[in-house]
Amino acid sequence: MTTAGLSRAIAAAIDARTRLGRHTTDATAASLAAAAPRWLADPALAALAESSGLHPSMLAEVLPRTAAMLDRDAMRGLVEREGTDVGEPAEWIACILASNVPALAVPAIALGCLAGSAVVVKSGHRDTISAPAFQRALAAVDPALAATVVPVFWPHDSALDDVLLDAPIAVLTGHDATVAALAERATGRVLAHGTRYGALLIDTNADVDYAGAALDVALYEQRGCLSAHVCWVVGDAERVAAGLADALMLLAERLPPAPATVEERAAVRTFLEEAAWSGAGVQAGAWGAVVRESDPTFRPTCGARTIRVLPLPDVARLPECFPPNAIECLGTNVPPPAGLRARGVARVCPVGRMQQPPLSWPRGQRPALGSLLRESRTAVMAIER
Amino acid sequence: MSHVAALEAAIRAWADGGVFEGFEEWALRAFAHQFERVAAYRSYCERRGVTPATVASWTDVPAVPAAAFRHADLATGPAEAAFRTSGTTGGAGARGRHPIVHLSLYRASALAGFRHFVVPDDERLACLFLLPPLAARPDSSLVHMCAWVGEAFGTSVEWFVGDEGLDLARLRERLAALAASGEPVLLAGPTAAFVRLFDTGFSCRLGPGSRVMDTGGAKGMPRPLSRPGFLRACWTHLGIAGYFCVNEYGMTELCSQRYDSVLADRMAGRSLAARRLVAPPWLRTRVLDPDTLTPVAPGATGLLCHHDLANWGSVSVVLTEDLGHATGGDGIVVEGRVSGAPPRGCGQLLVAMSP
Repeated sequence: MTTAGLSRAIAAAIDARTRLGRHTTDATAASLAAAAPRWLADPALAALAESSGLHPSMLAEVLPRTAAMLDRDAMRGLVEREGTDVGEPAEWIACILASNVPALAVPAIALGCLAGSAVVVKSGHRDTISAPAFQRALAAVDPALAATVVPVFWPHDSALDDVLLDAPIAVLTGHDATVAALAERATGRVLAHGTRYGALLIDTNADVDYAGAALDVALYEQRGCLSAHVCWVVGDAERVAAGLADALMLLAERLPPAPATVEERAAVRTFLEEAAWSGAGVQAGAWGAVVRESDPTFRPTCGARTIRVLPLPDVARLPECFPPNAIECLGTNVPPPAGLRARGVARVCPVGRMQQPPLSWPRGQRPALGSLLRESRTAVMAIER
Repeated sequence: MSHVAALEAAIRAWADGGVFEGFEEWALRAFAHQFERVAAYRSYCERRGVTPATVASWTDVPAVPAAAFRHADLATGPAEAAFRTSGTTGGAGARGRHPIVHLSLYRASALAGFRHFVVPDDERLACLFLLPPLAARPDSSLVHMCAWVGEAFGTSVEWFVGDEGLDLARLRERLAALAASGEPVLLAGPTAAFVRLFDTGFSCRLGPGSRVMDTGGAKGMPRPLSRPGFLRACWTHLGIAGYFCVNEYGMTELCSQRYDSVLADRMAGRSLAARRLVAPPWLRTRVLDPDTLTPVAPGATGLLCHHDLANWGSVSVVLTEDLGHATGGDGIVVEGRVSGAPPRGCGQLLVAMSP
């Protein structure tokens, strides 16, 4: 692809958006919802196992969760809450996606369409399949809307990147350094989503869903910002560590861990050796690892289904245990303490639901749809029940 | 003679052309000593069910993770010095600390290795260090080593990193003067500092016998540069041939270093041997499978685990966060660091000193 070719494709998508005219958000939501199962049934998605490095059983578990984000009623509700009285949408939105987890393109396209803009989605290198597959699915149900979507991919080409970074709105996801470097070159408004983590808060005085907690750790092989890296425990941390280890072991039978590179295995070994040196309780195997520590301070793990179990004597002190803007999502079996929003948490949900965000998930504390339509100055935290 | 004095004598004897023998015995002796004197290490070994009585071979001695130097005081006695790792993230508490109980043993080991691999011809050199002086960075093991090198092998010693970072103008001026005089030069420092010099476009032809010792990884590099590219630049910008360019691999946690084999091989008539990082005989490295911590097949990639007898006063066996493979029977190739490991390396000295 050339810069001229990319510019032409963007212009065509903008024209298509203009032609779409009074396409109502109801109709858009209906088309997106209808496209979701078609996308999920696309045989091309089978190739994701190789490119993403995730086991086919893992993909079978996570891709339906992505499709479920495009629930028609939920999208209509989202538009009602965030998408009215906002004036003209941006002509087009550029989304430059990370490659840590597959199918990021699907919610990105959906939000762009609901915002009423043309959407250009540059896929991450480990999933160049989802975006064109979703556009195909959309074209089958609503060709006019599909014409407003431009899925693209190139490995490294800063000239092409710069075309996207000229968008009125650029949504950037990836490691902090990558996002910062891209944001510096953007000429329009930037919505940057850098490195963040998930965490669990479990009170052993309430019911504990260990199977759900294991899913919160293991889905997407812990590569995403919703994956739990630590589990704060009010009560019996030893019991929770044992319960989590058992659940992760069981889960590994159903969802075998992805094959790990020597670098990933070395990272796990380094993590475990440091834990063992410090006297932490370590349970580890091919299923992952649970490390029980005594200091409640948040530190991310090395991924690959590894989690730190940390004691939390006083739940009210949870916000002090992690640095600002480190935690994106908290999965909990008790009401969350005050102060999480001020600390940068974007989403609080029940244990077991961390990896099943709704489309309305206010990523980075920005309204999912509203931030595409206007500058958002209020930090938002969603509490799901 | 105490054990440590005997070890130092053995190292000095090797430096003078003798043979270093008895690695196994030294390793077991060092383990018994460290197990007895370093409480945190003893506790770690006991948790793993290992004591001097259960260890039959040097390969059985438990390794501490490099991170242990960030968390505990690993000293067998009062430290004569303490060196800090050069990571700049995470604050001072995230930096490792290696207490040096036997500074003279460290000096003997460092100089013996340097002499063998960098000045096997016993040349005396004008020493130009692309580093801050000792007074500015007394906690840097690399700066300490270079100061010793200057004393031992230098006709003069100059340092080129100050409060304002690398003083490229003064360096270029000095290099030009030395090139004109033909005096052989040792130019040593982080690889990143060399790249900054090259990027100024400066070039000269340093005198015969001049050499480069570079160290550190990509951290702090102004741009990516491959090893062949680095060697070409040493020729283009300094007039130093590739076989006089010796890469050093060291860690604050170790008292001994590995060096590029190229110069020692050339002096020994093995010019065609492949470049690899070789070590003096009191430093051994095993390449371990990350899952099992058993040795990988020859040539396969794994975690590097060093056994350094010169670490007599701390802990001899260190499991690093470095990945690499063994090569050529006596060498290793370092391939990189475990993802997520704290950044480190001597290039950080430049980062830390830069305004």
